[in-house]
Amino acid sequence: MAPTKSINGQDLREMFAAATTWLEKSSADIDALNVFPVPDGDTGTNMLLTMRSTVEESQLATDHSASSVTKAMAKGALVGARGNSGVILSQIFNGLSQALDGKDDINGQELADALAKASTVAYAGLSNPVEGTILTVIREAAEASQAHADTVSDDVVSVVEATVNAAKESVAKTPTLLPVLMEAGVVDAGGQGLYTILEGVLHYLKGEVEQLKLRRPWMVASSVPLTAKAPQMVGAEEVPYGYCTNFVIKGEGLNPDKLRKRLEKRGQSVIVVGDDSAVRVHIHTLDPGDVMSRVVPLGTLHQINIRNMDEQYRDFIEMQKERMPAVEVAIVAVVAGEGLANVFTSLGATFIVPGGQTMNPSTKDLLQAVDVVASEKVIILPNNKNIVLTANQVQSLTEKTIEVVPTTTIPQGVAALLAFDYEADMETNAQNMNKAKDAVKSIEVTRAVRSTRLGGLDIKKHQAIGFLNGDLVAVGDKPDAVVQDVLGRVNLDEVEVITIYYGDDTASEEAEAVGENLDKQHPQLQVEVVQGGQPYYNYIVSVE
Amino acid sequence: MTVKIVTDSLGDVPSDVAEELGITIIPLNVRFGEGIYRDGVDLTTEQFYAKLLKSKTLPTTQIDSLGVFVQAYDKLAEESDEILVIANSRKMSASYEAMVEAVDKMKRPCRVEVIDSQWAIMAQGLIVIAAARAAKKGASIEELMALTRKNIPRADTRMAFDTLEYLEEGGRIGKARAFLGSKLRVTPILGIKEGEVFPFSREHSRARAIDHLYYFATSFSHIDEMAVEHATTPKEADALAKRLKSQFPRTKIYRTMVSPVIGAHVGPRVLGVAVLGDRG
Repeated sequence: MAPTKSINGQDLREMFAAATTWLEKSSADIDALNVFPVPDGDTGTNMLLTMRSTVEESQLATDHSASSVTKAMAKGALVGARGNSGVILSQIFNGLSQALDGKDDINGQELADALAKASTVAYAGLSNPVEGTILTVIREAAEASQAHADTVSDDVVSVVEATVNAAKESVAKTPTLLPVLMEAGVVDAGGQGLYTILEGVLHYLKGEVEQLKLRRPWMVASSVPLTAKAPQMVGAEEVPYGYCTNFVIKGEGLNPDKLRKRLEKRGQSVIVVGDDSAVRVHIHTLDPGDVMSRVVPLGTLHQINIRNMDEQYRDFIEMQKERMPAVEVAIVAVVAGEGLANVFTSLGATFIVPGGQTMNPSTKDLLQAVDVVASEKVIILPNNKNIVLTANQVQSLTEKTIEVVPTTTIPQGVAALLAFDYEADMETNAQNMNKAKDAVKSIEVTRAVRSTRLGGLDIKKHQAIGFLNGDLVAVGDKPDAVVQDVLGRVNLDEVEVITIYYGDDTASEEAEAVGENLDKQHPQLQVEVVQGGQPYYNYIVSVE
Repeated sequence: MTVKIVTDSLGDVPSDVAEELGITIIPLNVRFGEGIYRDGVDLTTEQFYAKLLKSKTLPTTQIDSLGVFVQAYDKLAEESDEILVIANSRKMSASYEAMVEAVDKMKRPCRVEVIDSQWAIMAQGLIVIAAARAAKKGASIEELMALTRKNIPRADTRMAFDTLEYLEEGGRIGKARAFLGSKLRVTPILGIKEGEVFPFSREHSRARAIDHLYYFATSFSHIDEMAVEHATTPKEADALAKRLKSQFPRTKIYRTMVSPVIGAHVGPRVLGVAVLGDRG
């Protein structure tokens, strides 16, 4: 492709118009990502509306210079901005227009510098900038564009390409910076929106008109795997979100910085941007009337938009349900140890009740869990023989339909969970899970709490003892040796998969060594060593 | 005059079958960095996976221009005045949109009907093959459309995955996102439901995953035709096909490979079964 040395105002108009079309294709997907600052599910729509206003206003520029067009865009973005990300986006255009003041054409270097300015201005609009959001994405994208222009090439297309690549990487790692994203297993919605806009610009500059027409923007995958069924988890907490309040004040001698300070105490997610003649305000507040009566003496109010975020949130939860398979049946599992809890949630358990050997949960604990989950049908996995009875009592105490799959060990619980079929009904699932639990053998190794004689074995206090399917079969001084001993009692020729969960006070090296040894002796086996983090049991081993 | 049958390369119809039945397959593109390859034309499935395992960047897939579709239609319009196009699920690719748009850009007058198969891989392929067989016997375009619509809910497929990384990266994971992030090494069994990738279940070992595919097929009371597809593990697929053959001795079982474009989204070691038939 011929190098693009410079672009003018007309190019800017067209490339952002193309970017808006590109954004439109995925605005609904971006809405669904939205969990920060509040999960109201409108980021994509807000950014799209902001872009539309930006592009419309760009048509009104008096000439085709980069300076005039970006000034018009900044104005369009400011008056049209909606929501957090929209207002920050408007500041990005504000920064671009400041940097390009007086310029007719711009080359790649100037574009990179303008992006850097855009990043600075975007940060300045917020009293409390948060990383892992659109801010991080504009900053890292701008840094990459400058590095590229400085050291590689100032060709406009190649600068934009470097910017887009950096933006994509930046979006992917937003969950590592913002815990709420990590928990929900999503990337930041505003960041994704900005990346999509930049990508649309790149497609336009490369002349990929049919791509713009026929393809859809990529949703960046989170660099962190989804560990929990987040939407339901997020939904469990009731927070009064209040009203998302947006308006523009027009007047004379306005002072955005001063106004931001005044409004900070009145709500959350406060963004105040603009100049001495027009200021846009975005605030999440419990009392929008109070906020507006405070600012009305400063000038006239325009573009007033107030939305009830509780309603938005409910719509958002509905939307999230669409994105996940409709789980009619929830699974409540009793598990001790963080590693094991992660295993269970990663395999689809809806709710974990902490507990197990020596710390049996009460019927009330289980009942609460059953009541909290969103589904009307609940399968309980007790994972311990002393908890099965407790679990059986829950049915008489709740309106919901309960099935207890009487798993008595962790390996049985995992096998049952894996047998869950997203398409089958509750009875079929309970049957399949029952069958699956019976097909697995469980080995548990723990320390004897006192000296005794049991099952024909002499046991001293603190010795390691091994159980096979609940029966005491081995004793020894070292837990790893006892695991090997018990495994020796199972016909491993008929076994396919062995999973070793090592406990809280067991060294990972020791557990890995047990796994490697097993691998060497039985190369046909699929052996997996997992940190279970469970108390009491040094080892829990599943043999399937 | 025989109605011409057109599909895209995402249906994995084997080229010898396409030739025998006169099916026109329009290739989509796979892109590795700067290199763009037409599905199954410039790049065979074996070459694709050889590249995939060496490549540092993940491949992407695309439709590069409407022209390819328009040209294919116009060429067929020289021989027939009716074309039935059966597209990959529109929720999975832009193939359907392109196939519809291309109709307006044709130079020759010809009736072209485009149907969203709501499937991919050989679940789509079996529907296409059934239409092509009927067309060859002289069915009218109305009859073929009715047959295809009747067959759409009769098709089904399951695939055992080695990893969901490619599906996720390529943005096609759909509701199977529920299976992401498993802390145990499991083999996800995915299928397609209402045109989208759907998570059906998980098996703890490859052997059990293959059993799952077998029992999926045997759950049908009647099977017109079926297919066993592989990506990089032909021996496994052969063994499964053999096992199914002994259960269904009179049923045609196609042995196919996923196309490079599909491969870019499913990754290596995928094994699948597709069935056109009836349950219960």
